[in-house]
Amino acid sequence: MTPRARENRWLVAPAVAFLLLMLGFPTVLNVIYSLSDVSFETLRSPRLDGLGNYGEVLSDGAFWASLSFSLRFGALTAVAEVLLGLFLAVFLAPLLRRHPWLLAVLTLPMMIAPAMMGLMYRLMLHEFVGPLPHYLFLWFGSSPAFLSPAWAFWTIAAIEVLQWTPFTLLLFHLAYASIPGEVREAARMDGARAFRLFRRIELPMLLPTVLVALLIRLIDGIRVFDNIWVLVGAGAGGSTTSLPIYIYTAFFRGGPLGPALAASVLFALAAFATLALALRLAGRRAP
Amino acid sequence: MTALRWIVLGLAALLMNLPVIATLATSLKPPAEIMGNPGLWVESPTLANYATVVTVSDRLDVWAYLGNSAAAATLGAALPLLLCLPLAFVAARRGYGRRLLLPLVVNLRALPLIIFAIPIYLMYQSAGLLDTRVGLGLVLAVVNLPLTALILLNAIADIPRELDEAAAMDGARTGRMIWRILVPALRPALATSFVFGFITAWNEFLFGLMLTTREAVPMTVGASFFFAGAGGGVQWGVAAAVIVVAMLPPVLLGLLMYRQIGQAMVAGAVKG
Amino acid sequence: MGRIVLDAVSKSFGATEVIRDVHLDVASGELVVMVGPSGCGKSTLLRLVAGLESVTRGRIHIDGRDVTALEPVDRRLAMVFQSYALYPHMTVRGNMAFALETARASRAEIEARVAQAARALALEPLLDRRPAQLSGGQRQRVAIGRAIVRDPVAFLFDEPLSNLDAALRVQTRHEIARLHRQLGRTMIYVTHDQVEAMTLADRIVVLDAGRVRQADTPEALYDRPADLFVARFIGSPRMNVLPARAVEGGLSLLGGPPVPARAGQATQAGIRPEHLALVAPGAGALGGTVTDVEFLGADATVFVTPPQGPEIAVRVPGRAAVRPGEPVGLAVDPDRLHLFDAQGRALR
Repeated sequence: MTPRARENRWLVAPAVAFLLLMLGFPTVLNVIYSLSDVSFETLRSPRLDGLGNYGEVLSDGAFWASLSFSLRFGALTAVAEVLLGLFLAVFLAPLLRRHPWLLAVLTLPMMIAPAMMGLMYRLMLHEFVGPLPHYLFLWFGSSPAFLSPAWAFWTIAAIEVLQWTPFTLLLFHLAYASIPGEVREAARMDGARAFRLFRRIELPMLLPTVLVALLIRLIDGIRVFDNIWVLVGAGAGGSTTSLPIYIYTAFFRGGPLGPALAASVLFALAAFATLALALRLAGRRAP
Repeated sequence: MTALRWIVLGLAALLMNLPVIATLATSLKPPAEIMGNPGLWVESPTLANYATVVTVSDRLDVWAYLGNSAAAATLGAALPLLLCLPLAFVAARRGYGRRLLLPLVVNLRALPLIIFAIPIYLMYQSAGLLDTRVGLGLVLAVVNLPLTALILLNAIADIPRELDEAAAMDGARTGRMIWRILVPALRPALATSFVFGFITAWNEFLFGLMLTTREAVPMTVGASFFFAGAGGGVQWGVAAAVIVVAMLPPVLLGLLMYRQIGQAMVAGAVKG
Repeated sequence: MGRIVLDAVSKSFGATEVIRDVHLDVASGELVVMVGPSGCGKSTLLRLVAGLESVTRGRIHIDGRDVTALEPVDRRLAMVFQSYALYPHMTVRGNMAFALETARASRAEIEARVAQAARALALEPLLDRRPAQLSGGQRQRVAIGRAIVRDPVAFLFDEPLSNLDAALRVQTRHEIARLHRQLGRTMIYVTHDQVEAMTLADRIVVLDAGRVRQADTPEALYDRPADLFVARFIGSPRMNVLPARAVEGGLSLLGGPPVPARAGQATQAGIRPEHLALVAPGAGALGGTVTDVEFLGADATVFVTPPQGPEIAVRVPGRAAVRPGEPVGLAVDPDRLHLFDAQGRALR
């Protein structure tokens, strides 16, 4: 081996070792335990059990409900965030160009921990202490039970969208600003004014960014945990149980750990599949 | 038209930041007022809630939580720098690892990390790393690996190769060249990675919830205790003050470095 | 068709005035090149004509119509941008058809016009490609094709050759000249390169700091520059400018023997390198030591430094018979002397 090749190996060795330890080994554990009958007491000696755990998980209605929730939640919030972010980025572009510091205020929600955001909404939506029900009562005479099974999905979706629209806003703002000025001027020479300019020139040029934003927010939406957990825990009649929450509660329920791990592995496979599919689609789009 | 834009901007900013405003307002209300006045206007502002927060009690110790968060977040933000710098270097300059290792690291971002939470819990239980700052910090470092690698990769690629070559002509070997030539040129990128990693690590909740119980509880989890309401109901004023304190570091960092952090966030998006 | 008149046009950005009181009359079918050092305002002036910027004062007329307040598309002008500014997500065909689609032309007409322009520029095999798949020269032709399709009353070119390599630049220059002959339309062309200006223009407009220094044919600018700035800007190598003094017998350059010329108010004299000749030391109106010889093939440039004064460039056909370090004299053709007063204005 050449000295350079040897050197390369040494340089990446720390990162590789860390990954093997923190991710590689856990993955192996995941697979083994998901195929075993094991509990907190019998950690050192799992009994290999075949695919029984997987069968248990796949036949659990709650599993499918949480998967459905995560997918619906992810898709809905991703689309909402992209639409809002795109609108705001384009509509507010002149203001943001002249006063860049406005971005600091608009992107503030992204800097806050989702768990903290959830706690703040718990305050804000509280029937006695929260300003929102207070003002709704004042202005409209009634206020919905935000965290009831009927409303919880929409409440939490709104919370997620309000916290992460700044992300898509920022993404689209940067993409929009990077459209070369001369392209816009060429369109102006060709007679395309505001709306036609947007529809035929700017929007198609923003399309790659739209797809990226959709994908990222979909993935993030699927694995949402923090804000839901601090708001409703595993409750609200299970109407807001995301897949991570399902896995978490399955793990700490006590008893056999196998099912929780099996669900983890299934989740990982689903995530990989989604990513691979998305990359294939993206690859096909670029000519 | 400009007036309309300002109105929309104001509404959007207000709506998205409403919880912050409400929490801030509540934190300044005396306990008596909280039940009586749920509105946003504080009638008799007071700092009493903050005083309660910073006083250590046997049940809830905010300083401990802050310290735990700071320590774990520092480890979680600094370790990726050490690990990813050589990785980004060989990938950017020598194309080593570009096919497998680098994509693996960068695409970790897409994985729901809870799938590793359980086995890591079990590993830590055996290794005695449960409820330790170090244990938490190591996991936070994993979370920050993808974006740090990406930022450093792009930053190194932006430095002209001629700089390396000039150093080589001057007799510097790889290690010296990285340390004396590249690292100074990478200062902004390193700073951005660290700050962004710190914010991300500070804001982490799930791993804090799973991997700590008493000694190493970070601020995010600690804050949620104040909302538990056990033994007398939730003291909303104090709880609100706790949240304000909990979000102060990332928010301040974010406001100061919003430009760089914003670019870091979208860099992760576009390249991924 | 295509007569463009600029009447006392001024443009300020905030407090900075970048275009000062410009008068220009472009005849129908003329190829006018606006040239000047960077920052002189030539691109701004072009954009004012296009309608991409609005004038602060003055008026612009096209074919007798006052277009000062009109949007670019309503002026029926087409522009070729320095960066080509092609729509990256559309094919070549799409790029060329866009303007007509915006104007709601019929499908048949669009196809006919696009095909015609594609034929004129040899773009037919590229019609279904995207800009990213084209070379720089090809993109440039698409940009021109996009302009041709619109059938404008005049074409505006903003430094179209500056992003091309040297060989391609010459070739494309010829293509633009051919296009002008073929279409017979008015063209306003902006460049910082005086070679492009000299070779393409029917008339050249020399700009400096937002003002028109001189607007005339290339020959007139070369033979009769109106001031020092124009004299030094046009011509390569640059005109030699020397301090001059009226003495008995004519004009003394650098204190040397008098050259027969009517001195008048002249304090500076200019002579182009090709109007000087190498003679024996002491035999000419100027002299000095050879400091450098640049051999260019068909001719050579000899640089001579006099005892007091700036370096003088002399163009010599064929090979130079002198070497650096040798003393040499320079003969001045008195008919080719340009005289300037203390303000740099040319004297006749």
